Amino acid sequence: MNKTIPELDYTPQMVPYPEPTPAEDKNRVHYLNVSDTVWSWLFTLDHKRIGILYLVSVSIFFVFGGIAAALVRTNLLTPTGAILELDQYNKAFTAHGTIMLFLFLIPVIPGVLGNFFVPMMIGAKDMAFPKLNLLSWYVYMAGAMFFVWQLFVGGLDTGWTLYPPYTSQYSHTNVLYAGLGIFITGFSSILTAVNIIATVHKMRCPGMTWSRLPLFVWAMYATSLIQLLGTPVLAVTVLMLATERLFGIGIFDPTLEGDPLLFQHLFWFYSHPAVYIMILPGFGVISEVIPCFSRKNIFGYHAIAWASVGIAVVGFLVWGHHMYIAGQGFYLGMVFSTLTMLVAVPSAIKVFNWVATMYRGSIHFAPPMSFAIAFLFLFTIGGLTGLHLGVLGTDIHLHDTYFVVAHFHFVMVGGMLVAWLAGLHYYWPKMTGRMYNTFWANVAAIVVCVGFFLTFAPQFILGYNGMPRRYPHYPEEFQILNILSTAGASIQAIGFTMPAIYLLGSLVFGRPAGNNPWHATGLEWQVPSPPPPHNFEQIPIVYYPPYEYSIPNGLKHVVIHSLNGNGVHSSDITPKHQEVTSGS
Amino acid sequence: MFNDFQLPLTPPRASSFAYEYDLLFWYISLVVLLGGGLTIATMIYFCFRYAAKSEPAQTPRLLGSTSIEVTWTLIPFLFFASFFVWGVRIYSNKISAPIDVPEYYVVGKQWMWKIQHPTGQREINELHLPLNRTVRITGTSEDVIHDFAIPAFRSKFDVVPGRYVTTWYHPTKVGKYHIFCDQYCGMGHSQMVGTVIVMNPSDYDAWLQGLHVSEEGKNPVDGSASWEGKKLFLKLQCNACHNADGVGRAPQLAGIYMQRRPLQGGRDVLADDAYLRESIRDPMAKIVDGWKPIMPAYPRSQVSEEELLNLVAYIRSLRNANDLPKRYDRYPAPVGAPGAPTDEGGLTRE
Repeated sequence: MNKTIPELDYTPQMVPYPEPTPAEDKNRVHYLNVSDTVWSWLFTLDHKRIGILYLVSVSIFFVFGGIAAALVRTNLLTPTGAILELDQYNKAFTAHGTIMLFLFLIPVIPGVLGNFFVPMMIGAKDMAFPKLNLLSWYVYMAGAMFFVWQLFVGGLDTGWTLYPPYTSQYSHTNVLYAGLGIFITGFSSILTAVNIIATVHKMRCPGMTWSRLPLFVWAMYATSLIQLLGTPVLAVTVLMLATERLFGIGIFDPTLEGDPLLFQHLFWFYSHPAVYIMILPGFGVISEVIPCFSRKNIFGYHAIAWASVGIAVVGFLVWGHHMYIAGQGFYLGMVFSTLTMLVAVPSAIKVFNWVATMYRGSIHFAPPMSFAIAFLFLFTIGGLTGLHLGVLGTDIHLHDTYFVVAHFHFVMVGGMLVAWLAGLHYYWPKMTGRMYNTFWANVAAIVVCVGFFLTFAPQFILGYNGMPRRYPHYPEEFQILNILSTAGASIQAIGFTMPAIYLLGSLVFGRPAGNNPWHATGLEWQVPSPPPPHNFEQIPIVYYPPYEYSIPNGLKHVVIHSLNGNGVHSSDITPKHQEVTSGS
Repeated sequence: MFNDFQLPLTPPRASSFAYEYDLLFWYISLVVLLGGGLTIATMIYFCFRYAAKSEPAQTPRLLGSTSIEVTWTLIPFLFFASFFVWGVRIYSNKISAPIDVPEYYVVGKQWMWKIQHPTGQREINELHLPLNRTVRITGTSEDVIHDFAIPAFRSKFDVVPGRYVTTWYHPTKVGKYHIFCDQYCGMGHSQMVGTVIVMNPSDYDAWLQGLHVSEEGKNPVDGSASWEGKKLFLKLQCNACHNADGVGRAPQLAGIYMQRRPLQGGRDVLADDAYLRESIRDPMAKIVDGWKPIMPAYPRSQVSEEELLNLVAYIRSLRNANDLPKRYDRYPAPVGAPGAPTDEGGLTRE
């Protein structure tokens, strides 16, 4: 009897689904055309359709947040406010912060790419809890409606950090609506997290061991752990804030015997890990894109996987570095500063591993790779300037200045948003079956990168010179740098509009992408694009780690064959496939 | 000499701390520029060196290397550790304000800075300081959290309602510098700005004279914070219990500042500003060993933050037991307090 010993063999092991002919492709049933009623979308249990629902909604909220950002940057053109009154400006930056964080950055990659691709990457037909998955979208939309509602009835002026006693006693704006929005959307991310954790634990196909998980799945898993453990604390905190505001029960307000620092501790206990909720999925995307377009195995798979988990764990213990000068005490500050230095190390490890992956590769500058390179450039700057803020001594002067603004935008936009664009460009052909115009996509990557750098690099200088954040009016000597920054923001706006045009255009004019346009190894690429309603017609079996790009002609790392058959389901195995006869 | 050196696009350095701060800032910045620059340069080099050729390339199957991983874990870690150690030194320096120097009070309020000099002069949104003299700053807030920031001094601290925060300045350069509120505090956040004016000591003294309204009196100086505090001390009848007679109803306050006080339950506490403040606002929080918890609390409706600062300044000025006013019956004890003997010699007796 013949028996394959795949461990010794790095020739192609995958029998991909045959590329459908154009005629077949027209008649093929996939998740998009399986039914086309509105109800079939609103009540779908298909993780891919839920991913699309998230894609549409987060994109809308990104536009909302972007408009608020445009108002803020335009107003900062002149030292006394170009277009807005003081309170209007405060509402604009608060809307920008809350919408971008709670409605865009936190759900975007878990909601869209996580929902769509985690089951496909691990060879599952759906998430572990499809109904819970749909519920998470509805809960998210319900929370989002409160945000939209409060915008139309007067807005919120507290900043996304909601520090009492200003928020609990002094602000006359819609704190309760916004708080309710935060409270509810929090449950949405808890539901998604539960679902992803259960899916990764229980739904992996045969052979998909933990050390064969794609790094995107590792990152999503680590993210979900943080969401599950951190978000309830935010819910509790918002609830306490509401209690104080509604009933005057003193929790945070010192005139009611409360402690304002208690709020900051609780808030950052969630909100610092939350920045890892935002950035870790971005790391995951980059870990997929760079090996694929360098045609190399990822360098240091285990280091990257454990760095994700390490960040998730230590990230819970560094919240106090937001409070060095808030009066939390010297020894607390020392502890948090130590841990902050520790949590900086895994991020550095990841960057080094990604760069090392490119070493002796064969680098293709397809749009996802262009965005990934922009990510490496911008995220390195963002991560390193975080050191200035994590060190006790240097934070004294830089805290709450534009240095902080520049730092977290470099991480959140230069890192996370650019990683999201990399992921969107990488997976768009798989999600829609259409290929976009890669020339314009590469141009967009450059425009975004240049515009971004021009926006936020001057803000480091502004911050070091002491310009405080959240200032609609500022001293005149800061005007030139602010004009530069606004000019950069305009270039960025062009850069973000371009993908909207050519991606949507590709739905109409794009050529069919084919099953695997990037010649990637992952399971998700072995099925037709767009994927069939239940992803895999047969349960795949995985024999190899991901990212076996270095094998000659070797693009795929799995065998897809029937569980019932005893062997490979097609005879079309390359001659090099190594077989030994039992007994010999 | 480097003290006067200023790169373009950098803020002025007007205090001794700013110089120490900038050394650390530029050390971190240089390491970061080199490390990050090296990483990015390597990436760009790889992009050109290993760009895909037209024929399909065979790439080596490199899976990783433990020794390389350990190397690039340890090297950043060692640098980060050096940042941390130096950062702790700078930070502890900044928060350890000397106590034997003139003390200025800063009270934040939506949306202005109220400042009081140790000699009693008050200013709003301006702070005049003498050159080359170390001063101590104590801040608090009347409403929400503000942040008193002076970029030229590289100094900043949150003023939190219900707390005292202390720092120090040692101005080294004459000039006018920005004061900003750095913690978002509502509509007028960006209007809550001011100017710190560093003057030569002689100019400063002249400036003080211009504001000083002198009256007859002895130590503490008329119009000073502690003088105001003393008047309040008498008005609130604190001396009914806290007096020099040693009647035994409340602790003797003279000389306790910056002493460790034994508490009920065996712990002890440093009698610093924050402790004095808390003992007035919320006397039950910490009871000194051997005394009964009978003191009434003084909420903000009775004693404002500024008045409280004056009271604390007064208690600090009490060095020996005779400094404390004796009690006398023109000011009876609070209702419920134990009966007290009459005596002669209250300070304000006519």
